[in-house]
Amino acid sequence: MAFDPKNLMKDRITDIGPPKFDQFFPPVIKENFGKWKYHEILEPGVLVHVSESGAEIHTVRVGTGRLISTDLIRDVCEIADKYCGGHLRWTTRNNIEFLVSDKSKLQPLIDDLRSRGNWFPIGGTGNSVTNIVHTQGWAHCHTPAIDASGPVKAVMDELYEYFGSHKLPAQVRIALACCLNMCGAVHCSDIAILGVHRKPPFVEHERVQNVCEIPLVIASCPTAAIKPKKVNDMKSVEINNSRCMFCGNCYTMCPALPLANQDGDGISLWVGGKVSNVINPPMFSKLAVPFIPQEPPRWESTVSAVKKILETYAAGARRYERVGDWINRIGWERFFEQSGLEFGYEHIDDYRLAMMTWRTTTQFKF
Amino acid sequence: MALKHATPMLDELEKGPWPSFVTDVKRLAAKGNKMCEDWLGLMELSFKDKETHWKHGGIVGVLGYGGGVIGRYADRPDLFPGVAHFHTVRVNQPSAKYYTTDVLRKICDLWDARGSGLTNMHGSTGDIVLLGTTTDQLEPLFYDLTHDLGMDLGGSGSNMRTPEGCLGKSRCEWSCIDTQEIIHDITMEYQDALHRPMFPYKFKFKASGCPCDCVAAIARSDCSIIGTWRDKIRIDQEAVRAYVGGELSPHAGAGGTEKRAFDIKEEVLDLCPTRCMDWDGKNLKIWDEDCTRCMHCIRVMPRALRPGVDTGASILVGAKAPILEGAQLSSLVIPFMKMEPPFGEFKEFVEKMWDWWMEQGKNRERLGETIQRLTLREFLKVCDLSADPRMVSTPRYNPYIFYDPADVPGGWEHDEKAFRERHQA
Amino acid sequence: MSEESKERILEYVKSQKKTKHYFNDLCKAIPEIKMMQAKKIVNELVNEGKLKYWSSGSTTMYMLPSEGDVDKEEKGMN
Repeated sequence: MAFDPKNLMKDRITDIGPPKFDQFFPPVIKENFGKWKYHEILEPGVLVHVSESGAEIHTVRVGTGRLISTDLIRDVCEIADKYCGGHLRWTTRNNIEFLVSDKSKLQPLIDDLRSRGNWFPIGGTGNSVTNIVHTQGWAHCHTPAIDASGPVKAVMDELYEYFGSHKLPAQVRIALACCLNMCGAVHCSDIAILGVHRKPPFVEHERVQNVCEIPLVIASCPTAAIKPKKVNDMKSVEINNSRCMFCGNCYTMCPALPLANQDGDGISLWVGGKVSNVINPPMFSKLAVPFIPQEPPRWESTVSAVKKILETYAAGARRYERVGDWINRIGWERFFEQSGLEFGYEHIDDYRLAMMTWRTTTQFKF
Repeated sequence: MALKHATPMLDELEKGPWPSFVTDVKRLAAKGNKMCEDWLGLMELSFKDKETHWKHGGIVGVLGYGGGVIGRYADRPDLFPGVAHFHTVRVNQPSAKYYTTDVLRKICDLWDARGSGLTNMHGSTGDIVLLGTTTDQLEPLFYDLTHDLGMDLGGSGSNMRTPEGCLGKSRCEWSCIDTQEIIHDITMEYQDALHRPMFPYKFKFKASGCPCDCVAAIARSDCSIIGTWRDKIRIDQEAVRAYVGGELSPHAGAGGTEKRAFDIKEEVLDLCPTRCMDWDGKNLKIWDEDCTRCMHCIRVMPRALRPGVDTGASILVGAKAPILEGAQLSSLVIPFMKMEPPFGEFKEFVEKMWDWWMEQGKNRERLGETIQRLTLREFLKVCDLSADPRMVSTPRYNPYIFYDPADVPGGWEHDEKAFRERHQA
Repeated sequence: MSEESKERILEYVKSQKKTKHYFNDLCKAIPEIKMMQAKKIVNELVNEGKLKYWSSGSTTMYMLPSEGDVDKEEKGMN
């Protein structure tokens, strides 16, 4: 059986779904499935899970980029073959976990990983800044306001010491989305880095009627900001700029409506969100910095603002307090004071249900 | 060997202690991979221009599939012909992302032969994302994927998206449900919905084994399945004393592995959101009826406390990122449901929910927005769920109750004559 | 039954000015049929090559194979 380009239906297989997960388990996982009793973090990035049977599995967690090559995957395979019987997994946050069934191979694995320069940093467990989850950015997306892999690399370089240590009051989850469509949802992160467009699309009237279907463009706008318009003899559209929410949907339907702009686009920072139900319920991230200009290749202003927020939190929070718990305790007025970030009109919500966020009490701190 | 394009800005990202995607891609480019060479050039141009250089294209998948591939084209094919066409392929990951090196190498071989060699391990939704191939490679790639690897495409567009779960019982003592089995089962059951669009918009399932919610189900899935228990937290009193005595490191070492004094009152009892615990110096007492299962005490003393054994899931619906009506977290609609294969009760619920959303949902409206527009009451009714105080953080505080005439004696009809006999006009 | 429904869907699509259609637009052509059932009918139309998909990445639409700009996009002209 080989692929026949002239007959796609020949031997065609569809709808088989993913392979069943358990065929990739190391034997000790298979044998102790559902029987795990407790775990311990032996050092940052190194975990042991102990079963009711007394069996153990060790895990070494390493950070990687989300964007990785087949070469890197092959390197990872070589390591997993040597120390893990060929078994490994990825976490939700783009970390790799090497699964060590034979304890005698744990230290040699750690030593090997450390000997490979900056390819495989060990950490991301416990009260650390673990890997940043992010979207595609300039690497592969058509509507991003900012890059993703670049700022993530720059931020993680700066926060590196927090990846491989447990010195924060609690875990800190950072996420980046390159536009507000958030194909990677960042709205419940301790610190969210979010790309924003600030200029509505411009209309290339002479192209619109050739490359776009006007009814579909109009229908694509979530806020009904686009109307048909005749310009000279050309069928085109006009955009009510004040209604634009910068989603890029119209650009997807009609490439004659570009919205990317090197000066208009930039980074906003959001803080205090979380998804876990631990102690306090899940929380959304709230606006900390409305706009930072783009600064490739190292995004210095973004990096230093993120670090400032993180270190203000680290200095002020109590043990087990997430960023949002800490801010709720000290109050937003104190957050802006201590972090040195400016508070402006942009911070005051003016979208639907905005009044839920206004202060309706005389209780505040001077 | 010098690469085709100079990349002075990208090169700055080869510095620093964190792994560099630039170094990684350059390594592949240096082996003569033309797509990677031009990808680096295009990326460098974006760094210079501070704008993306990709365009969208409407292709969706392979023959008969309405998802799994995203069309992508460079807007400077004149400068970077190697990435003129650079489509994304989403491959459905095995539940919880366990692999053997054998299957990973097969993926690498396939992708080196049929695409750029660049990947995301993994995309935000959970898929293995293969970045960058041409249209003519899609069908042969799909053939190899299904025949040689036994793998299939994931979702995109108005499909059920690739479901995702935490690692569950495979390596976590807190998991109250078999998230991997649930996710695999849903994925297999609803292959048609995954591959052929029928919904008003995307629909995501995510399953976390416990309320820590490691896959962020509550924030980013239309249907969030979160493990919980309804009996008592299991206590090993001797281990509690060991924590208090400083023999065990608290928080499983998450706050540092060094031995330290542990104040159970300050670190556990006083942080319990319902204050449902007491420590008399010898024994820990938990009033489980007041416990809201936040996991804090269990996380801090994992060798002493464990979730109960009467386990199942809380089902919440409607989470989404901000577009359009603003971000929403999922809302609780089924406080507790047993989750055992073949998950019949759960699937009945899912199908009622989908029927309603397909009929009532507007185009590009996520489930959470349809519920917001047509009310939670309506959603509960069509799904045959009764109202329960657990579903709200507070009862309504506006008095505008839209009564159903069926609930009022005589419906909306008045006996006008009888009224006027009682009252003069 | 389903052949007749298919015809009605195709007629509807051909009668429209726009070329791309949401799934629930197609269902308007066969209002008496449940959407889950309609899905199967539309799947058949796709398998028979009488309709094809178009996707923005986040939403998917249907169009006639004769129309559309996929080829143009392929050539990088769009």
